Amino acid sequence: MKRDVLERVLWNLSVDRFSKVKFKENPEQFLSRFPLDAEDLRMILEFDVKGLQEAGVSPLLTLGYWIEMSPDRQMSTYNRKLGSESKYSGSIKG
Amino acid sequence: MAEIVGGFLVPHDPVMFVARDAAPADQAERVWGAFERCAERLAESGATTAVIVGNDHYMLFGTTCLPKYCIATGHVEGPLDQMPGLKKEPVPNNEPLATAIAEHGSVSGFDWAVARSFTTDHAFAIPYKLIVKRASELSGREIKAVPVYLASAVDPFITTRRARELGEQIRAAVLAFEGDDKVTFIGSGGISHWVGTKESGQVNEEFDRYIIDLCCSMNMAGLVALGDEEILTRGGNGAMEIRNFICAMAAVNAARGELVEYQPIPAWVTGLGLIELLV
Repeated sequence: MKRDVLERVLWNLSVDRFSKVKFKENPEQFLSRFPLDAEDLRMILEFDVKGLQEAGVSPLLTLGYWIEMSPDRQMSTYNRKLGSESKYSGSIKG
Repeated sequence: MAEIVGGFLVPHDPVMFVARDAAPADQAERVWGAFERCAERLAESGATTAVIVGNDHYMLFGTTCLPKYCIATGHVEGPLDQMPGLKKEPVPNNEPLATAIAEHGSVSGFDWAVARSFTTDHAFAIPYKLIVKRASELSGREIKAVPVYLASAVDPFITTRRARELGEQIRAAVLAFEGDDKVTFIGSGGISHWVGTKESGQVNEEFDRYIIDLCCSMNMAGLVALGDEEILTRGGNGAMEIRNFICAMAAVNAARGELVEYQPIPAWVTGLGLIELLV
């Protein structure tokens, strides 16, 4: 199931140090390990958290992956990508 | 035989730690003060062990295995998700009691997942530090802490009915335990909050007070009857943690609950309710 693979990738990128390093070194090569289609790859590489959630991915994982791996790690950007105007954010990691 | 001396239902909001100053000062002071009052009451209760019922946030358990309920029977440390003011530390587990709960379950229809060595997340670590460890400091005696983790934040969720049954099983196991332990339970979570979704930052005070009323009146049937869709719509994905409340309440079987504090704090993205369960 599409969601399951996406969640496995995002879980790795949220908590697994080795995966984080490999993704930062060469994201396309890291992602080639997983059975992802072109749209999956785009969503992950572009940090399309809205699209990932619409694909069924847990918001806990989109949040964790954003905090750990996104270019600016700003919750305001995360909220904007979700289409939220909230000025508050529920970061679950310090 | 072991004895059950009470319990608490409290939030485990990490934003309290990572954005301490974001909340209005008077509200923040009330919440921190409420945790301190819970610690004082725990110290006064004579408890020697706290069973903390929390949930993973898709950090400890990954896609390869998602247990419905898990108990740590051995070495414990945490949290994995360290933050300012909440650093990883060893936790004194009550290993004989935790093992007895798991073994009691195996002969009474509850097949516990067991963690022989466990790293907690903030769901355990926040109430442990602010209530259990603090009560140990206040009382001058070590209070041990047993982690119980329910699938309350990651699907497939444990049902509210099963959370209640599990609490009843834990209660039976504790009361059958041959030791002089005095045990308290902490249900960790809630109340309304939206984690990682576009609604993050909303708080539903009306829903929170509805849940508080159910908890204080020990209306277990009312809590169990809440449908997932209703909880998600009115309280957000974070409110699914009400399951942790249900399990702890069933374990304590309190006469009533007493509201210690409630503060709706959008800047901390949570309706924060603290309740003491009185036996």
